[in-house]
Amino acid sequence: MFDFGITCLWLIPLLPLAASVIIALFGRRWLPDQCHLPCIAAAIGACVFSVIAFSAVASEPQPIAFGKDLAWISAGDVKANFSLRADGLTAVMLVMVTFIGSLIAIYSAGYMHGDPGYPRFFAAVSLFLFFMVGLVLANNFVLLYACWEGVGLCSYLLIGFWFAKPSAATAARKAFLVTRLGDIGLLIGIMILWTHSPGHSLEYDAVFAHADKYPSGVLFWACVCLFIGAAGKSAQFPLHVWLPDAMEGPSPVSALIHAATMVTAGVYLIARCVPLFALEPGAQLLVAGIGGFTALLAAVIAVTQTDLKRVLAYSTLSQLGFMFLALGSGIHFGEHKLAALAVTAAIFHLFTHAFFKALLFLSAGSVMHAMGNVIDMRQFGGLRKALPITHWTFLCGAAALAGVPLLSGFWSKDEVLVSVYDAWKHSPHYGGTYCLLFFSALFTAGLTAFYTARAYFKTFWGEEKLPPEAGHHPHEAPPIMAWPLRILAVGAVGVGVVLGPTHLFAKMLETRWAPPHLAAHPPGPNVVLMVFSVILAGVGIGLAYWMYVIQPSAAEHLARRMATIYEFSSKKFYFDELYDWTIVKPITILAHVCRIVDTYLIDGLVDLVGMGPAIVGYLVRPVQNGLVQFYAILMALGLAGFLLSVLLR
Amino acid sequence: MMSVLLILLLLIPAAAAVAVACLGQARALLVRQITLGATIAGAVIALVLAFGLLTQRTDIKRDTYSPTFVPGSTAENPHATTWNLIDFNAGRDASTQKKLGAIQFYIGLDGMNIWLIVLTAILMVSSVLISWNAIDERVHEFHAWLLLLGCALTGVFLAFDIILFYVFFELTLVPLFFLIGIWGGPERRYAARKFFIYTLAGSVVTLLGLLAVVAVCYHKTGDHVLTFSIPELVTIFNNLLRSAEATGDRAFFQSFQFWVFLAMMTGFAIKVPLFPVHTWLPLAHVEAPTAGSVLLAGVLLKMGTYGFLRLCLPLAPDASITIGVPLIGALSVVGIIYGALCARAQDDIKKLVAYSSVSHLGFCTLGMFALNSTGLTGSLMQMINHGLSTGALFLIVGMIYERYHTRMMGDYSGLGAKLKGITFCMVFISLSSVGLPGLNGFVGEALVFFGMFETGKVLAILGTAGIILGAWYLMTMLRQVFFGELKEPHVEGHEVRDITPREIAALAPIMAGKEIRTRSGLEISSYSSCSWCPSWTIWIDHDPPV
Repeated sequence: MFDFGITCLWLIPLLPLAASVIIALFGRRWLPDQCHLPCIAAAIGACVFSVIAFSAVASEPQPIAFGKDLAWISAGDVKANFSLRADGLTAVMLVMVTFIGSLIAIYSAGYMHGDPGYPRFFAAVSLFLFFMVGLVLANNFVLLYACWEGVGLCSYLLIGFWFAKPSAATAARKAFLVTRLGDIGLLIGIMILWTHSPGHSLEYDAVFAHADKYPSGVLFWACVCLFIGAAGKSAQFPLHVWLPDAMEGPSPVSALIHAATMVTAGVYLIARCVPLFALEPGAQLLVAGIGGFTALLAAVIAVTQTDLKRVLAYSTLSQLGFMFLALGSGIHFGEHKLAALAVTAAIFHLFTHAFFKALLFLSAGSVMHAMGNVIDMRQFGGLRKALPITHWTFLCGAAALAGVPLLSGFWSKDEVLVSVYDAWKHSPHYGGTYCLLFFSALFTAGLTAFYTARAYFKTFWGEEKLPPEAGHHPHEAPPIMAWPLRILAVGAVGVGVVLGPTHLFAKMLETRWAPPHLAAHPPGPNVVLMVFSVILAGVGIGLAYWMYVIQPSAAEHLARRMATIYEFSSKKFYFDELYDWTIVKPITILAHVCRIVDTYLIDGLVDLVGMGPAIVGYLVRPVQNGLVQFYAILMALGLAGFLLSVLLR
Repeated sequence: MMSVLLILLLLIPAAAAVAVACLGQARALLVRQITLGATIAGAVIALVLAFGLLTQRTDIKRDTYSPTFVPGSTAENPHATTWNLIDFNAGRDASTQKKLGAIQFYIGLDGMNIWLIVLTAILMVSSVLISWNAIDERVHEFHAWLLLLGCALTGVFLAFDIILFYVFFELTLVPLFFLIGIWGGPERRYAARKFFIYTLAGSVVTLLGLLAVVAVCYHKTGDHVLTFSIPELVTIFNNLLRSAEATGDRAFFQSFQFWVFLAMMTGFAIKVPLFPVHTWLPLAHVEAPTAGSVLLAGVLLKMGTYGFLRLCLPLAPDASITIGVPLIGALSVVGIIYGALCARAQDDIKKLVAYSSVSHLGFCTLGMFALNSTGLTGSLMQMINHGLSTGALFLIVGMIYERYHTRMMGDYSGLGAKLKGITFCMVFISLSSVGLPGLNGFVGEALVFFGMFETGKVLAILGTAGIILGAWYLMTMLRQVFFGELKEPHVEGHEVRDITPREIAALAPIMAGKEIRTRSGLEISSYSSCSWCPSWTIWIDHDPPV
């Protein structure tokens, strides 16, 4: 059984890789219209094996480590193998990634049908699945980094999938560069850990076991650097600007990569490194602060966006912020060990979020499909009748996101709030900050309900309005797209109630993953908090219903009343412009200055030196004037001078 | 057997060059075929040698440089040769006077040069293929010079005699001078002259440094050994340093090393090229024909880094630590950032790639002057990686130029819709050039940073800026030229076609190289560390790193 489990684990990354290679090599020629088949088969296969791996992990008390002997890099003090591990955290991520990946691959077969880049799309998606499962399976930092960059590459390729569209090409470059900025942080963090780890090991276990022996300042900077990497990948402030633009990619990509899986890699990284972060309250405060701030900022922006996918993108930012907020609350003070609790909350939210956000994006994709690629909410409305299936699935996702009681988002958001609340109550130094973060999170939760309901009502309620691109009869999603939507809807509704109150999820994570010194008591449900968040969700939804269904003019009226805030929100707080003026433009100007300096100053100096012999020649040339008398005088003068100097010495 | 192959590696291109030159202009096709045949034979031989070396790995002595497959070696000493070129004992009475050394034809292979040899051989094949249609005047001369250049480059990497090394080192200038000066762009004469004089001026100073080491080894040793063999010089010099340490006579060697380091650095730094002596490079690249650019970027620049590795570090070990690390480390970092910024500001694709070389070579020297085996291995890998990436980039720029006759980025947009094959290759190579895992750039770059992080954190952290800047200019170029709405420059007469089989053949070995590299990265790294680091410990142990 054990060996069988290992084989299964190996197959999880290898199946998508094989699919990707097959599609890339043979797709265009031999199966131009069937390229989805290898991808779907590999994704489903990987999903089945992930479930098997999950049960294997659940029956093993220790993490399953394998692949240790397969050398990859061995140079000087850097040793990295293809060492993989499977524990509670990995198993949860694996199941989530491959399950959602399978559904999205099936959906894409319908969505992308007829696109000239059909093979390219599925090759890239398979490659993405390979890197993503590799990322969560990796047992050392170099492998993690490699897969981390790999998913970034796939993101680049897929955002720029319609590369002939200038906005898509620009968005792809932006995503690549901004996340790469974060990756530098990750690399430096890894190098710091490597310098101080025993025997320069890069394996997780060795580094984490050494955690309390790192010099304090070193650990702090290592954590900060790792968090910079996480913030880049998970689009947290101030590196959040790439994610909304990434919506230029096909909708299934937005669902898979830019909502459900890749952007959660940062959360996964911090969760994985919690043995380090738990020891550094300062770093944790940063994580929580950035998370809480991003959650609020993105929610405020989401309120005024008119592009349905952008609303969802900002919502993703906001929810990722919630996860970081939870992670950042995982601190250790005396007997109050909150780390395991915090990680459980964050990963639980990650898990449920993957379901409902993938569902929302796929539903939005379905809307876009029906509306002839129009996604601006001002151009359509009242689609309840026209798109009944999409309407219901979107409603399920939106309700889960808004935190309607008993749906999945409700449970996980509650756990996040509980962990922040605990940090507020127990933190000796930063209690005030956590208090602030707690209330900001409550407010954000209310905003979330509001903007989600707003998007829902604007799209599906009111008078039926269709853009000219849609034609007269908008077509509902075909079965191949509808079924993944239905399955995800069931997940979005039910996964929380199955895993949350029963503590199944917490047990899986805590017993199979948490190092012993991080173990904590399982959290009790906080009823007061639950009531609070229900009220907030109700207020948010009610307000949206009033503003967009009952009294449609109220929204505009309010926007006029609060013109400044509205302007800032709808212009995304001018972050793009700010970065453009403070970073991009100055560096571009510097680049041109460098070019000029290079051409005229540095090369000019070289040419000047090169002219040296010519100048000297020019100066002494008059001496050779061909007059014998002149030479004779010179000779006489020279001789006289020489004699004089000898005599006077 | 293997040593015969080693000689063939030099002999085949040389012989082919003569044959091709004699054929004349009229039989251009035959000229091309012979050249292609010769280069393919060279590539096969290089690969055979590489496999031979890898299987003989245990044979390598761990305590010093010890080349294998040396032609003319004897049974008792397989790592030295008996083939003298100029014997200083000739005409002397051997019985009464001490025996002097000789300038020898001493070539061999070790972990440091084998991959550079393979790289040269592969890029030669690509260069011939890419010139198939691009060159149509004085075809026989072009190919003769190309083959001679290949021969000289191989010789530089193979040479284990200091004079032989220098001869090959300078010999590379002549063919490239003609390649640029005759078949180059509009400013070819100026570019060729500048390239020639600039690099020659530097390497003359290098020669002074090399001779100074030989002279000091001769004068300072008790029995006056005159030798030009690099392994012997390294051993003798380090023994001298050690005994000087013991007798407290360090001052002389400290200042001696300082000057020797500076002298050698002059030539090698220009060749690499390090900031600020890099300005000959963009000019030479832009003006050179595609084949010339490929070899210039792919191989010729590596002579500089290889020179540092082979000669500068072992023959001036203390100076490498005291002035090499801060000076060259800082120049490398400046070069990485400055080169990337200059590349960002270019309008000409070829110039962009040329400046990217300045930036990427900064990684090589940065890793090298980490002076630990991690960084050195990374540096060595980065040399190969850069050769493949930049070589391929120049090939593709050449292909585009051949189609549209312009290299200005502003003239293009959205070529991806039309030239799918070329776009795929360009994206692939750009990604590898920015160091994405799975492609060849990643391991080398990571090792460079890990190595440097141990020696100088600030330099390493500053150097990481190159990661993002490098991605920035390449991605911007891709965005401009290949993505977006289609806009082509106007071309007369013929239809613009996507990549042709010949061009695929030119790129194929490089692309294949890129994909296997990560795997064999393991080979090269464990390989070079076994052949190299022990000799590092020899000179490191008498003076702890600062």
